[in-house]
Amino acid sequence: MGPDPGVGNWGSDATGSENSMTVHRRKPRGSWSLAVLLGGVVALAWEAGAASMEKSVIQIFNFSQQPLWESPWRWQPVRREGGSGFVVKTGQGLRVMSNAHVVSWSRQVLVRRFQDPRPYQAEVDFIGHDCDLVLLRVADESFFEGIPSVEFGDLPEVRSTVVTYGYPAGGEQISYTRGVVSRIELQNYVHIGNRSLLAVQTDAAINPGNSGGPVFQEDKVVGVAFQGVPGLENAGFFIPPEVIRHFLKDVEDGTYHGFPLAGIRLVTLQNPAYRRHLGLPVSGEFGARIDSIADVATTAEVLRPDDVLLEAAGFPVASDGTIVYRENRVAAALAFQQAQHGEKLSLKIFRDRKEMTVDLPVFVYQADRSAGNQYDRPPRYYVHGGLVFTPLSQDYLRTLGRDLADAGASELVYQLFYLRQEKPERVRKEPVVLGGLLAHPVNANFSVRSRALVDKINGIRIESIDDVIRAFGEGQGEQHVIEFVSRQGFECLDRGEAAAANEEILKTYGVPNDRRL
Amino acid sequence: MMTMTKIAFGCAVFAAMMCGRWCAAAEGNGRSPFESSVVTLEVTSKDYDYFQPWTKPTRSVRKHALVVGEKELVTTAQNLADQTLVRVQKRGRGRWYNAEVRWVDYHANLGVISVADDAFWTGLKAVELSGTVPRRNDYEILRWRDGNLEMRRADFSKFTVSEGSMSFAPRIQLELNTEIGGLGWAEPVLADGKVVGLTVSKGGNVCTVMPTPFMARVLEAKKAGRFPGLGFFDFVWQAGQNPATLEYLRVPGEPRGAVVIEVPKRAAEDYALKTRDVLLEVDGFPIDMEGDYEDPDYGHVMLEGLATRGHFAGDKVRMKILREGKEVEIQYELPKADFSVDLLPMFVFDKEPEYLVAGGLVFQPLHQQYLRGWGDDWRRRAPFRLVYATSEGPTKERPTVVILSQVLPDPINVGYQEVRNLVLEAVNGRTVRNLKDLQEALKSPKDGVHVIEFFRGDNLRRLLLDSGDLEASTARVLKRYGIPSASVIH
Repeated sequence: MGPDPGVGNWGSDATGSENSMTVHRRKPRGSWSLAVLLGGVVALAWEAGAASMEKSVIQIFNFSQQPLWESPWRWQPVRREGGSGFVVKTGQGLRVMSNAHVVSWSRQVLVRRFQDPRPYQAEVDFIGHDCDLVLLRVADESFFEGIPSVEFGDLPEVRSTVVTYGYPAGGEQISYTRGVVSRIELQNYVHIGNRSLLAVQTDAAINPGNSGGPVFQEDKVVGVAFQGVPGLENAGFFIPPEVIRHFLKDVEDGTYHGFPLAGIRLVTLQNPAYRRHLGLPVSGEFGARIDSIADVATTAEVLRPDDVLLEAAGFPVASDGTIVYRENRVAAALAFQQAQHGEKLSLKIFRDRKEMTVDLPVFVYQADRSAGNQYDRPPRYYVHGGLVFTPLSQDYLRTLGRDLADAGASELVYQLFYLRQEKPERVRKEPVVLGGLLAHPVNANFSVRSRALVDKINGIRIESIDDVIRAFGEGQGEQHVIEFVSRQGFECLDRGEAAAANEEILKTYGVPNDRRL
Repeated sequence: MMTMTKIAFGCAVFAAMMCGRWCAAAEGNGRSPFESSVVTLEVTSKDYDYFQPWTKPTRSVRKHALVVGEKELVTTAQNLADQTLVRVQKRGRGRWYNAEVRWVDYHANLGVISVADDAFWTGLKAVELSGTVPRRNDYEILRWRDGNLEMRRADFSKFTVSEGSMSFAPRIQLELNTEIGGLGWAEPVLADGKVVGLTVSKGGNVCTVMPTPFMARVLEAKKAGRFPGLGFFDFVWQAGQNPATLEYLRVPGEPRGAVVIEVPKRAAEDYALKTRDVLLEVDGFPIDMEGDYEDPDYGHVMLEGLATRGHFAGDKVRMKILREGKEVEIQYELPKADFSVDLLPMFVFDKEPEYLVAGGLVFQPLHQQYLRGWGDDWRRRAPFRLVYATSEGPTKERPTVVILSQVLPDPINVGYQEVRNLVLEAVNGRTVRNLKDLQEALKSPKDGVHVIEFFRGDNLRRLLLDSGDLEASTARVLKRYGIPSASVIH
């Protein structure tokens, strides 16, 4: 999609979707089966003493329906997708844990026990789209009878052996694959697209359908299989215990909040002149520089640019912006992710040539939700006079495909991904686009067709869909005046004719309601 | 499925082999009279690599020129920029003569070439540039191929108002439909035995031709010493086709007119137009609901053509507009088509690439020429934020942009070596709009460091460079990377 982020800093991965990772959803290529079979045989022999664990592994079927973001009242055809899960014990009782992407946009979730043909209805209890985890509730308590819940282990060591359990590629029988832990670092979680959390790479085959399945080491779960890289053989990723425990702790109060984001840009501090200037030992190993702070007011109160981060939550921060976590060198962002929403982190910083300790409260950052992939809440919209208004989002932009590089669409890309960084004071809460026109004589002569970001309607600055509805209700003139951002100009709509045509337009084009809020 | 798969579109090139059709108009010996009027031009020019602005790669092209007057050749301005050697050859074979570019205007896309050696002119005859361009389905396109003057047919497609090949200024151009490959090298186009234009480009089956009436007007003005350059309309308009919009703007009668939606950010206080003015007549021509006017010679074409039809930069163009419901006559002064009207100039011609190397940090002015380094598909491939800047207008505070384009590794810049393509905001507290600003700012480091700050965005904001070691470092970098000079600043 769109601009290549491969070169240059301005073109960084803000658009998110060039990431080559994929959440396992689709049927794989034809060649996977042999590898899985062989791996399964090996794993069986090796894990002979732990045969009961497979009873904890659940097969999941999701019947999902995704919205069409450019025609927000419409839905794509129903899809049936398979995944895996496993039984965990929570404060509220037994639940099935899996990946969020396995059950996203669900119309119905069915779960099946090991070698039990009966499907059971399941429902989402808690879902964390940022960490791609979900807890499912099964109404029929008998489902859990005779199934042991798993215990979680610690982050496995690099080079140690793990075994994944699951139902890849929609197979009816459970599959086991064994591999070693290749490396551990922060990875983009492609389900949400614009967050990176700790992930473990393994060469155990992880294929579509494995998603949500447990990764065992000895008799403990050390991960949840979740994504792979298309075209890259022998590399699958699983979610480590750190992220799983964070998710489970988060939901203890009955609400899932998510992983907090401090909103700091931490950069390397390895230039001798810069270190000397700040009063740090030139060849020192520790201390990374805070280059800028995003629009997170609570962070801006505590930290400022050119503060040097020496320690985060007890982890010494190296000059390249990393910490050592259980013998793995990973981005210091990990230290911030240990905290729960609203908790405080203790930071040791170096400011004005003095060491000091500060407490930084961290919160979930929601302002960039529309810049990532969104789930479960169908797009908001409002239709008036055949004009379809819907929020600007990454999901909407994706519908433009290759047209994204067109001049009009590049304004949308800028507004969604760059404006917040450059001019936060000009950011709209929910930028609205004219997503399309439902052709009717009242709008047939519009020269602006779609993809135009709405600036004002009847003189009212549009900050959200609600503003659109309010603005059409206000104003006195015989025409509604719709102004667009940038060079898209403005268009008028005859007030009386549009009101009279509304019902007919909705009926003609099968729009069940003029709005979804 | 979350992946966005990149699809590489294979591009098949079809070479259409066509039989040449020979023109009937013949000299006594059966040869075309144009053999003594169309000559081959060979231009060697610097083809700068803006990713290594200190290098000077060259390339050579062959194109055509037309004898138009006493020892005077005319051709398109394409490929004449940054030329190092120009030669001409007559009758498609034999000796090459050294030539000289006497005059060139990239916006008008015209160049005048002279040849000092009288021997060249023997046997050559000037042709007349046709004052009209008739619509024909038997245009003939001339070009020298292997010593023979090839003449092949092309069909009329339309007259259109479009940007020039080397300019954003729109002008009337002729579009022909033809399968002849490789056109666009100033091949003369004939109708009724007269030259009616020179080809400027070919895309698909469409060959774009610069009509002779336009050429003649520019060349005459230039000869008379009063060619101020092409003008253009520097406002943005939208067609007045939506009746509700016209009603809102109180335009009486049938739908018509073009609605002004943007005036330049740097416009003077007394700028003639305001947004939401409706252009009803421009230079005496009524504007229709498509934003077109009826040209007596070329039919319905876009109103932008009126900026170059019969006018040059600095001329006043009479406009009848509707402003707040009232008809008003205004005089709009045509600004000069100049690349500096864009924040990122579209082209830089006849200038060595500017750059400044300081401690391995390479600074360059940002222009579209730099972005073209990412290839023809640069709008998709170059860093998004830089490409987006092409749609941002220059302001008084920010007329041009300087970037840190790359870092050539040296001990002084350890820790910054991954940095590239960042827009500079200030150095040592001084705003940087061009390399002269930067050079000046680098004279006043504080506390032993230079403070280099980049525009706020999703990127690094700030870096410091040791000022004590800067000079020595720059010298090391120049030597190690084979760079002849620390800066080229015009």
